[in-house]
Amino acid sequence: VRQSRTGVIATLSLTVAVVLGDSGIVTLALPEMLRDFGAEVGQVAWVLIAFNLVLALVAVPAARACLRGDPAMATAGGVAAFAAATIVCAVAPSLAVLVAARAAQAVGGALVIVGSLELLVEATGAEREGVRRWAAAGVAGAALGPVLGGLLTSAFSWRSIFVVQIPVVLVALPAAMAMRGRVVRRAEELDVSPDRPYVLANVALALLSAALTAALFLLVLLIVEGWRRSPAVAAVAVTAVPVAALAAGPLFRRVRGGTRSEAFAGSVLIAGGLTGLALLPGAALAWTVAPQLLVGLGLGLSVDSLTAAALRDRIPRALHGGWTIAARHAGVVAGLAILTPIFTADLRHAERPAKEAVASLVLDAPLPASAKLELADGLGRQLVAERGRVPDVRPAFAAVRLPAPQAAAAATLEHDLEDQLRRAATRAFRTAFLVAAALALLALVPAVALREGRS
Amino acid sequence: VRTVTLPLIAVLLVALVLGVQVAAGGGDYVPRASADPCVARRIPPLPARLEPVAERIVLLGLDGAACRLGISRERLVLSLADRRSLAPDAGAALKAGLRDAVDRLDREHRLPKVSQLVPEALEESDLPGIVKTVVGAIPDSTIDSTLPTAPLLRRAVGELDVDELLDQLADPDQIESAIRAAILRAARDEILDRLRP
Repeated sequence: VRQSRTGVIATLSLTVAVVLGDSGIVTLALPEMLRDFGAEVGQVAWVLIAFNLVLALVAVPAARACLRGDPAMATAGGVAAFAAATIVCAVAPSLAVLVAARAAQAVGGALVIVGSLELLVEATGAEREGVRRWAAAGVAGAALGPVLGGLLTSAFSWRSIFVVQIPVVLVALPAAMAMRGRVVRRAEELDVSPDRPYVLANVALALLSAALTAALFLLVLLIVEGWRRSPAVAAVAVTAVPVAALAAGPLFRRVRGGTRSEAFAGSVLIAGGLTGLALLPGAALAWTVAPQLLVGLGLGLSVDSLTAAALRDRIPRALHGGWTIAARHAGVVAGLAILTPIFTADLRHAERPAKEAVASLVLDAPLPASAKLELADGLGRQLVAERGRVPDVRPAFAAVRLPAPQAAAAATLEHDLEDQLRRAATRAFRTAFLVAAALALLALVPAVALREGRS
Repeated sequence: VRTVTLPLIAVLLVALVLGVQVAAGGGDYVPRASADPCVARRIPPLPARLEPVAERIVLLGLDGAACRLGISRERLVLSLADRRSLAPDAGAALKAGLRDAVDRLDREHRLPKVSQLVPEALEESDLPGIVKTVVGAIPDSTIDSTLPTAPLLRRAVGELDVDELLDQLADPDQIESAIRAAILRAARDEILDRLRP
């Protein structure tokens, strides 16, 4: 019996991680989807937004539905719906179908998440342990999602992101069915009107989720679009966040600082990490590691602590679990809504200083005027071909044939131009990262007002 | 103590990371700013060949024109590619800038003598061999006294139809032939002026 319980706990934790990982799993796949569907950036962003928006909207109603019946059946139904929608995502013939299927995924996912909370508490036999595993699975999923999505997109295609999820999630079906009839409602859960949601903890969760969206979404965009690195490289580069998030518990929980202390420290770490990303001294991936570690430690320290605080001593548990999910994903949507216009506008504004820096370097390069004209022509064509994206200067240089001494000067110029373009792109993301840091700092307000509780 | 330990660790970690980043130039990782075109740029040594001299005159001329128009040299260059964003008086500003450039190089004795440029000009020209031989036989001192570089270049700049040149920006060969024609016309007129009593 114990072994099967362990299996159930592991399977349900994995399923919660997969569903919540879906929140950001497509981040690194967006450029490939953009090309596949020939759509605009704003349209493709809905693949990300639809899931988070619908999850935020249906989490609480799903929890209410879950409370009316057996959570095992709600979870099983959610798994089936999530898997079916994921199949449609994998074979989606158009962007509209993909966005609709992502919304359906979120509906099934909401049932899986709130149902799993009840089942994990039952399977672990202890409220605190069940909530801890549920919250930790959510943190791991949210942190690992973009990394796995990036690796799968690079190795196969964006469709593989969804193909891989189907068998993983379906494993939860027998686990949920095995828990049928096992969750016994306490009398007070059935008779008493539900507790009010813990607004402070949920607001802090929403603000930190908005900030964390920036950490992962903006950083991935900066690495792939700004620095022109491959999605695979970006995926490996952003592993620092989940690694630190998973290490935060073992590292800091020994201090036993309490919910307020952990939420405060987590918010400071996330805000500090985002400020670090706004003040990168170079475009080397190594410079992003320390800020990412701060963000990851903050994520690991604050999100599950706040989630536990939002659920502590409140009934019905599933409903309050639903509120935390709604708060987190509303935060993700709000983060995207606030930050996307900021960085897209900044990217547009970065175009002129970048072009002027490039023009300055080409004009002053120790190359014959004819070579400069040829290069300028090639760079101009490349700029038009990239349609407002950070251009790849290499084709313009490859097209110009120069004798050896001039080729060395051209190579230096090429390197300098790439440096200037990276500088412009990095600078363009600065305001968005700083606004995200401000969102994390705002979370300090509800965090300091939290009621104390040992975690 | 336990309640302040974690926030304290967090603040210290953040201070450490941000301190290292700012010390490494974190706040200054931005694209290079355009130089003020009204501040005279340092001129590197000029080889006595046609292309580097012409290029230097153009670069200094762009500075002068940009200064007159109140924009950066780089912005002016980018505007040249998109004529719609070019100021209506850009042609006049460019011509004035080119004249200023010749004046500055002349003032700083950076212009090579015409006799130093003649062999290269003859080699690249499509003149008949006999003409090349005759011109090559003219003593340098005669060439330099008949055709001093600065007046020749000033006259050539005056001959240039800048608006027409701007229309031909996409075709470097056409620009080169227009400049060559302007210089030849300027040389002929300069010689004729000097031969007149």
